[in-house]
Amino acid sequence: MLTVKERGQFVATLRYVYVTIMETLSAWVPTTPEMETKLLFGEHIWDAAQHADSLGKRTYELRMPLQKSIRAADGYVDLLATVAAIGPTSQRLAAMYDVLLPALAARQRRYIEQTDKLVDAPTVRILERYLADNTRMIDSAQALRHELPALQLTDPQWAAALRKREASLDLLAPAMPEAAAAVGA
Amino acid sequence: MRAAGDTKVVRGIEVRNDPAREPCFTIVHLHHDVPDAGNETVEARQMRAHREYNQEVQTLEVAALCLVDFPDAPWELRMELARQCWDEARHAELSLRHLEGLGGWKGMFPIANLDWSVVAMLDSLPARLAVQHRTFEAGSLDIEIAAVPMLYDMGHDGHAEMTDAIEADEVQHVRFANEWLKRLTDAQPRAVLQVAAAMAWLRRLVEATSLDPLKVIATNDETRQMAGFSRAEVAHVASMDQPMPDPPGAANSGPSDD
Repeated sequence: MLTVKERGQFVATLRYVYVTIMETLSAWVPTTPEMETKLLFGEHIWDAAQHADSLGKRTYELRMPLQKSIRAADGYVDLLATVAAIGPTSQRLAAMYDVLLPALAARQRRYIEQTDKLVDAPTVRILERYLADNTRMIDSAQALRHELPALQLTDPQWAAALRKREASLDLLAPAMPEAAAAVGA
Repeated sequence: MRAAGDTKVVRGIEVRNDPAREPCFTIVHLHHDVPDAGNETVEARQMRAHREYNQEVQTLEVAALCLVDFPDAPWELRMELARQCWDEARHAELSLRHLEGLGGWKGMFPIANLDWSVVAMLDSLPARLAVQHRTFEAGSLDIEIAAVPMLYDMGHDGHAEMTDAIEADEVQHVRFANEWLKRLTDAQPRAVLQVAAAMAWLRRLVEATSLDPLKVIATNDETRQMAGFSRAEVAHVASMDQPMPDPPGAANSGPSDD
């Protein structure tokens, strides 16, 4: 069973990631030319903020300060910075909706599989709700690119390489390596 | 915050460069150059819908920029700004749907991004809340409230209902800004100076960029009080000989009662 501290680290780290995603989408709004894409990012800023907020309330229940974030592992922080620095709209969409959000969903599913669903039920509820939102966000981006094919990534290898990089990284900082091992993150 | 070279000069005043737009748009730098022909003809209504569309996008861009530029702002305030991003995105989508319903399309008319160019120059969050929310958006509240019955009278029920729904959302945006301005200035009195400097700069800019006399829009007391203005503040705005400058974006988007 994951300890309170281990669960707290996962939740607070995930909050850090969602705050970063909120900020990345926000930075992309004025710098993305395509209006439809701006509006998609605008909607998902609120989704990311809500996820961060829910996780931040949960940190308090796990003996941490309210809205506590824990910085992710250095490699993951670098990945998030790489994504934030992307310029072309097609790559921004692919990085967020084909790589980052699906990968985070997979990490959360692994956490749900490994945590005690009764002891840690409040975290599980938060993550399950997120997974439904995550699917909606990815579907919206897919529908936009179906409607506007110019937003499709022309080089699928680019996304594959980013996906591979994400999969090779630990999410949790090594302050608690046992937590990283325990939750497979 | 803005990088070097990220500004432009409009009528002698340095403002932020335009946000990214697709090539289909023609960008002008003064609201005077954005076409406005009232509300009577289909073309005039297309112009208005096109202005509203770009206006909502600009407001989204300003809220998003606040999230980027002020990562240490209180989390509850950041949540309000994040929610506003979604609201403005929905409003923009509604405006585009309305425009397309009138047979229009994006890029149909020139656009100006002066709201963005003004607010994005301000380096403090209290100053941005004072200018964007408390001045521009509060001014829009007055305009929209006046527009709803006029649109019903003209038989544009769909547009009236859309405007009314958007106004309901905008009340919350002004309200949270009013609440947070009070909290931020209470906690940090220096913020009052930042707000005062921003308002003085705004007045200079409006004077420099306005070719027409500022329109006088009747202040809507009930809506402003709902949005968190005190009775004294509402009375002050209503009694000003020269009213608070219309929001640059709103100056062209009001009902054509002139």
